[in-house]
Amino acid sequence: MSVLASFDWSYIWERREVLAEGLKVTFELAAIGIAGAFVVGLLLGAARAYRIPVISQLAGIYVELIRNTPILVQIFLIAYGLPKATKSLQFEFFTVACVALVLWGGAFNTENFRAGFEAVPKRYNEAALALGFGRIRTFLNISLPIGGRIALPSSINTYISVFKNTALMTAISVEELTNVAKQSIDLDFRTWEMIAVLAVTYLTLVWTLSALIRLLERRLALPEER
Amino acid sequence: MGSEGSAAVAQPATTEVVRLEDVHKRFGDNHVLDGVDLTVDSQQVFVVIGPSGSGKSTLLRCINLLEPIQQGRIFFEGEEITRKGANASAIRQRIGIVFQQFNLFPHLKAIDNVTLAARRVKKMPRGKANERARELLGKVGLEEKAASFPHQLSGGQQQRVAIARALMMEPQLMLFDEVTSALDPELVGEVLVVMRDLAQSGMTMVVVTHEMQFAREVGDRLVFMDEGRIVEEGKPADVLSNPREERTRQFLRRSLQLAPLEDLSIEEGGNE
Ligand SMILES: Nc1ncnc2c1ncn2[C@@H]1O[C@H](COP(=O)(O)OP(=O)(O)O)[C@@H](O)[C@H]1O
Ligand SMILES: [Mg+2]
Repeated sequence: MSVLASFDWSYIWERREVLAEGLKVTFELAAIGIAGAFVVGLLLGAARAYRIPVISQLAGIYVELIRNTPILVQIFLIAYGLPKATKSLQFEFFTVACVALVLWGGAFNTENFRAGFEAVPKRYNEAALALGFGRIRTFLNISLPIGGRIALPSSINTYISVFKNTALMTAISVEELTNVAKQSIDLDFRTWEMIAVLAVTYLTLVWTLSALIRLLERRLALPEER
Repeated sequence: MGSEGSAAVAQPATTEVVRLEDVHKRFGDNHVLDGVDLTVDSQQVFVVIGPSGSGKSTLLRCINLLEPIQQGRIFFEGEEITRKGANASAIRQRIGIVFQQFNLFPHLKAIDNVTLAARRVKKMPRGKANERARELLGKVGLEEKAASFPHQLSGGQQQRVAIARALMMEPQLMLFDEVTSALDPELVGEVLVVMRDLAQSGMTMVVVTHEMQFAREVGDRLVFMDEGRIVEEGKPADVLSNPREERTRQFLRRSLQLAPLEDLSIEEGGNE
């Protein structure tokens, strides 16, 4: 009751510009993270599935490292560990956040695409070879469109996780939505107002994103699964 | 009967298209092809029969370079294709194969299945490819199914699209690996009719099949394979009616009779 009684709508309105600014950064992080995770996952997933020497093994280690450590540790490692290790470099935290999101999403997506490519029945590749396709053309025309579609549902879940992980960048002071909301809490003790903003915004965005991607998924799915 | 008909067509040109010399293929300890010699002449329908596991599929896959051989040589149109450094993709473009399981690309419409290799490998413009594909789909009685996806087609229709897809590359030789074995019995005829018409148009064909009626009526030459060897070879009617070898006799006794080809037509296949 007291929460509702003291809930100050006008405070949210007051903070609208700061919050919008934070939301913009969240979108930027998510866009870069998802695009990067797609590219990394596609390339390394293919390297894993087709056992391209060296790259495949390195990708395997990378995937294990990322999947078996907390993402917060990865963020700190990149933010503080890497500049130390490389001595001179001090990365901007926005860059660190992007790298962390791409590395995290890329690792999960590597597995998604690996599984997708491996699930393409061999007989389709053989049919292509028999028609005179070379190995690379077979990959581009057969394995990629079929395996990519098989990988779609699981990679969509990865993209949604990448989006939600942007909130963790609060830990390295990137001015994304969660962080600006937290700053407002620290400054003005308007805890409920800001938590409400965060909950409603993330829920709406993730739902919308999911709905959009599922729509895309339905359009891209193999014809027999539409 | 029918064999004389197609033999007459085969008379004028008798240049050899494929020759196998002492071909050996092993999977580990499994000696799957054990010294196979055979010659297929131009415009000939060369039928291969034999029990399951005797190496028939492997034989076709070796001719198409989908499997490497351990010993022996394979010639295609006078060129040794098993030599080191042979361009497998270029050779496979000239040899069509149709599989038991159709293997149509599931993400593409029938017409795109037919045109894909021509467009991507031969760089044929899409308009020209579509035009040619429609002709071929018409030939197999499926013009109006051009826009259907494989899963929307019956097995017999899928198999006919697969034949059109192979023909699109204008092969000099067509390999058929038990192409009716995965079909419901009532769909077998429509595929066999397409193959018969193709044979009559002068295509050189190697046909692995259990359809003895087809072998007898359309085949020019027939071999019986068992345990990786050619046990018996001759005119289809001779081998099927008067097998010399006991193993052939045993095998034939177990094989079934099917409806004569004259009773079948591909008309009903298109509008199912
Ligand atoms: N890729 C493969 N790896 C191992 N063994 C195989 C492979 N393909 C076929 N074989 C074996 O080769 C033998 C002949 O198979 P196949 O050529 O398919 O016979 P058919 O087509 O006459 O039934 C079988 O014993 C089969 O198990
Ligand atoms: Mg077989």
